[in-house]
Amino acid sequence: MNQAEKEAYLREYSILKNEGKPFFPYAVAKDAVMALIVMLVIIFLALLFGAELGPKANPTTTTYVPRPDWYFFFLFEVLRVMRKVPDFTPMATIGVPTICMILLFLLPFYDRSPERRIERRPIALATALFAIGAMAYLTFSGANTGSPNTVDLKPPSNFTAQQKATFTKGELVVGQSGCLACHQIGDNGNNGPGPVLTTIASKVPPQQIASTLLNPTPPMPSFKGLRQQYPQKFQTLVAFLSMLH
Amino acid sequence: MPRLPAPPLPKGLRPRPKPPGDDNGAGVADTLDPLEAGVTAVDWIDERTSLTPVGRWLLFRKVPRGVNWYYTLGSATLFAFLNQAVTGVFLAMYYRPDASGGAYESVRYITTDAFLGQFVRGMHKWGASVMIILIFLHMGRVFFFGAYKYPRELTWIIGVVLLILTLAMGFTGYLLPLDQRAYWATVVGVNINAGGPFIGPYLSNFLFGGADFGATTLSRFYAIHMLIIPGAIVALIGAHLYLVTKLGITAPPWLKAEPEKQFQPETDV
Amino acid sequence: MPGAFEGETVTRRRFMVGVANGAGALAAAAFTLPALAFAVGPVFSHEQWTWQPIGPSSDFPNDNFVTRVIQIQQGPLGAAGNVNNTLAYVRTRNPAIDTEPEDQYNHWIALSSRCMHLGCPVRWTPAAARFICPCHGGVYDIRGMVAGGPPVRPLDRFYTRFNHATGLVEVGPRYSVNSELRRFSPRYPGEPLDGIGQYLYPRQFAQPKPPPGVSQKK
Repeated sequence: MNQAEKEAYLREYSILKNEGKPFFPYAVAKDAVMALIVMLVIIFLALLFGAELGPKANPTTTTYVPRPDWYFFFLFEVLRVMRKVPDFTPMATIGVPTICMILLFLLPFYDRSPERRIERRPIALATALFAIGAMAYLTFSGANTGSPNTVDLKPPSNFTAQQKATFTKGELVVGQSGCLACHQIGDNGNNGPGPVLTTIASKVPPQQIASTLLNPTPPMPSFKGLRQQYPQKFQTLVAFLSMLH
Repeated sequence: MPRLPAPPLPKGLRPRPKPPGDDNGAGVADTLDPLEAGVTAVDWIDERTSLTPVGRWLLFRKVPRGVNWYYTLGSATLFAFLNQAVTGVFLAMYYRPDASGGAYESVRYITTDAFLGQFVRGMHKWGASVMIILIFLHMGRVFFFGAYKYPRELTWIIGVVLLILTLAMGFTGYLLPLDQRAYWATVVGVNINAGGPFIGPYLSNFLFGGADFGATTLSRFYAIHMLIIPGAIVALIGAHLYLVTKLGITAPPWLKAEPEKQFQPETDV
Repeated sequence: MPGAFEGETVTRRRFMVGVANGAGALAAAAFTLPALAFAVGPVFSHEQWTWQPIGPSSDFPNDNFVTRVIQIQQGPLGAAGNVNNTLAYVRTRNPAIDTEPEDQYNHWIALSSRCMHLGCPVRWTPAAARFICPCHGGVYDIRGMVAGGPPVRPLDRFYTRFNHATGLVEVGPRYSVNSELRRFSPRYPGEPLDGIGQYLYPRQFAQPKPPPGVSQKK
């Protein structure tokens, strides 16, 4: 904004201000109503959900799955997306938020155009919509991401009760055995380095699944130990994988 | 050497002209109506502080035509902050920042045993989420209305600092119950912070109060959450509000001043 | 300049301005600087440690892990309940798979349970012979080397030694390793130690000193 534009703005603003009403009580009334709504929402949430307290902090746990609060879901999701290129993770987790904050901080200094109507500021509008959309998408998908240690699939509806039971048990075994660290099943697990297992049974017969588990191609570990110690679990694992059509 | 004239005396110190009648002002207190004692006390405070013009400046300033419900988001954020401050201060009456078990026990006591404890803790916890949502909505309103532009740049900058401080409040407050969720979220958060090249690890050492999570980490977070950041937030909110009042609330960007139309009907198409 | 003696360059006003600014700044610094240094102090003081017994050597197989709880910070403030604990996965060194040079501090391999992605707790899964992290699916093999997922370096380790007086295995301070299992002073998770990473994330002053006679890269 140059000097003339600044003066024009101030002149225009003083006219609009003179046409307005006093802050008290006209604006304050709206503020007070809004404050009341905010308090009602907070009290409603406090009464409905309360404040839960989880188990005591234990740094020596081996079973706890850390999850952030909802307003850090976007960061959680960024980390999940960035896990393919771990060396660049700090760029995403430290660099991007820092740059965003600096850009926000300096906004009035690089956006100096006198135009204030958002429909005539296409770059600002596009940037804002992109930022809001990205945050909303990341928060949403972060909230819907399961732990990489559990499988959460619905057994097909045409299964018998017994098949469904095997299916559920198989999900547990897969979770405990760490398959999802390298394989993807449905929405769960990592896509790579191992192949996707979502429809593995339609590609590989059960016999071959069992033999691959026992004599896999490195770097996949052999599950011979599992068959020796817990033959039941091994059978369940093979049965479960053979159900993935 | 010529001398400067003596500076003029302030009004209150100038010798008064004698009032009409001749009682020298004595007996004023005797004639005071007891019913007006309150008014007199307020008058006395007002005379000593001169707050009336400040109040008039703050409350009876005009806001531009077209101010609508979107403009309440800022004061709603302030209100959520007040809720956080009050509930937080009273939670501190029960909370013990003791990492060796006292912190968890005191929060357990607040949550399960203390009268209204679950409710007040719930208000603080959910108030935090509501405040973060409101602060982002407020920022969105300011952005879409172009309200950060001349002459309100500094108001915007202070607002961004307030946003960062509020997020820092969320992060430091999350540890205080010291349950599993709190502990691991803090450990992961500090580790993410350590990913900043060169200074990241030292900043994380500072947050932990050492190389690892330890005895002093909790009291450090407590001090930051209770004293350092709230103090800064209060001071900056004061500056933010002063600037808002001084510079005036922006008019909605789609409004045009009427007289301009009257004067230049041809150019305003 | 009126009122000035010959050769004087500082006027009374400038002198008073200097006194006001200087004395004010000194007075403010007199309480802020010590307080700040007090708060920042832990960043610059080495953490203390002692050897902690974890059991006789017969406790530890060489093809599977046994977990042991270790106290990680033993500073002047002492332990703070269990938040100072950490978990180590311990096994006996197996020359067939452990190819890094042997010395007096690695007859037992003690791996830290902290994932080197973001510090979540990893779990040893005997069926797959892998460590698996529940946060973002980091995977490590029996040596603690990265087998998949986002971690940037192998699992941290602890120095171990045999105490002949007590007949027990003891665990010392933690150290980090790069992908060739070369020893480094401990780093935070997510900080690579190969290539440029070791310079981007320099040694921290707060980390414990290594036991005597160890060549540990800073």
